[in-house]
Amino acid sequence: MARMGMVFDLKTCIGCNACVVACKQENSLPDGVFFTKTLSEEYGVFPLANRVYIPTICNHCDDAPCEKVCPSGATYTRHDGIVMVDDAKCIGCSSCAVACPYDQRTTMDADNFLKGLFGTGEITPFEKEGYARYTPGTVTKCDFCSQRVDANLDPACVVTCPTNARIFGDLDDPHSAPSKMIRERNGRPPMPEKNTRPKVYYVN
Amino acid sequence: MAIADRVFSGDTLRVGYRFQRHWDNSMAYAFYCCEVGAGLFFVSLLLDNLAGMVLGLLLVSTGKPYFHLTHMGVPMKSWRAMLRPDRSWISRGLLGLMGMVGFGVLALLVMVFGEGNSPTELWGLKLLAGGCALVCATYQGFAMSHSSAIAIWNSAIMPLSSLLYALSSGLALAMLLLPADTAAGLAPILLLLLLGLALVQLMFLHAGWHGGPGARTSIELLLQTFYARWYLGVTVTAGIALPALLTWAAPTSILAQLLSGIGVLAGFFAWRLLIFKIGVYEPIMTMNPFAPGR
Ligand code: SF4
Ligand code: SF4
Repeated sequence: MARMGMVFDLKTCIGCNACVVACKQENSLPDGVFFTKTLSEEYGVFPLANRVYIPTICNHCDDAPCEKVCPSGATYTRHDGIVMVDDAKCIGCSSCAVACPYDQRTTMDADNFLKGLFGTGEITPFEKEGYARYTPGTVTKCDFCSQRVDANLDPACVVTCPTNARIFGDLDDPHSAPSKMIRERNGRPPMPEKNTRPKVYYVN
Repeated sequence: MAIADRVFSGDTLRVGYRFQRHWDNSMAYAFYCCEVGAGLFFVSLLLDNLAGMVLGLLLVSTGKPYFHLTHMGVPMKSWRAMLRPDRSWISRGLLGLMGMVGFGVLALLVMVFGEGNSPTELWGLKLLAGGCALVCATYQGFAMSHSSAIAIWNSAIMPLSSLLYALSSGLALAMLLLPADTAAGLAPILLLLLLGLALVQLMFLHAGWHGGPGARTSIELLLQTFYARWYLGVTVTAGIALPALLTWAAPTSILAQLLSGIGVLAGFFAWRLLIFKIGVYEPIMTMNPFAPGR
């Protein structure tokens, strides 16, 4: 069985946020809602100051605390390891948001859909079409573009990244690109002390 | 490190601490209503105090759902919250709440109208209702302690504090509903519960201070920021120290009982709000191999 996962190459990420825009476009995310963010951290002092970019996303944890606390059964793990939220079952209690150590959950407030992408209250035809997939009030997150994965495509953020800083594939396959990268470059999951067994790794 | 040195990133794209904001004040009010109501009901059940039982049931069956529904994104589907008792404390708690209200109302009816009923029936109902009330008094603490995301919540102190606060605020409220001399007889128990609360607060501060960076940050927020005056002034002084002093010094005084009751309830209210406000997500820093100290 497949175990889909992602590797972020911190050495190549340039913080251009193209992935963030691609994600918003693919998933028709309203104003203020992000499924992926590229964070930055500065350290050191001049002349040895530096900045590193750290892409973040739902880690599709093997032992997902968001799934364990969900009282309605809305959060579940697919056969290929992608952690999903069933909109029709979600009651918007936010328990999953409180349980996710990576703060990767977002509430789809009704207000989000009213502002419009330009903040004028005008909803473009593109938005009208895209927003229909969401139920206001539910709590949602990245699903590795499951609709694209089902069509044998990589997630939108992965295909958009100009520096190949995001590598997607089956972690159970030792020959897949992410598996090799994790092995060869000593990939590390985020916050392993939280015991969530993420399927996202970082290499440098 | 002091609180001023910590980076809080908020909505920016920087690495830093982020405040817990998903459970808002209405969730805190719901938790409060449930714990006070369950505690009051439990104590009143033991004392056969009908007024306390009714008030406890009302708090749990109206106050709690009202505040939960105002928080919930899709309130019309809230019934779904009971579907996963095998893994979710929210589902378990909801079933406990339904049990408490159901068995509690039946027990009340038997107590008021059931002259001919056998005492065994009443005891059976009381046992079931009391057991469910204890579930209501503690499950929210378990729901919080289950979260490894908010480090300060992730400890056994949460359910323990829920239980002690439920019992002490329930008893303090019940004492106000009882005749003064009966209430005076209960003063030593309230004093014991308040001492237990003081101990729990010390354990909470100690465990948080010596815990991981997230827990430490929460304690710094509690003791070094605007929240300190609420914590030290209301939760600790008005909510524990003053009631304990009054209960010890003047157990028969109605005024002392009134002030203690108000103090315990106010202290618990402040605690419930504060514990939500000081919750933080830790920065996703451990993954950054370039950062200093790594
Ligand atoms: S990163 Fe958070 S939202 Fe994603 S699977 Fe893990 S716990 Fe759930
Ligand atoms: S908000 Fe929805 S997905 Fe999250 S725990 Fe509640 S019901 Fe489950």
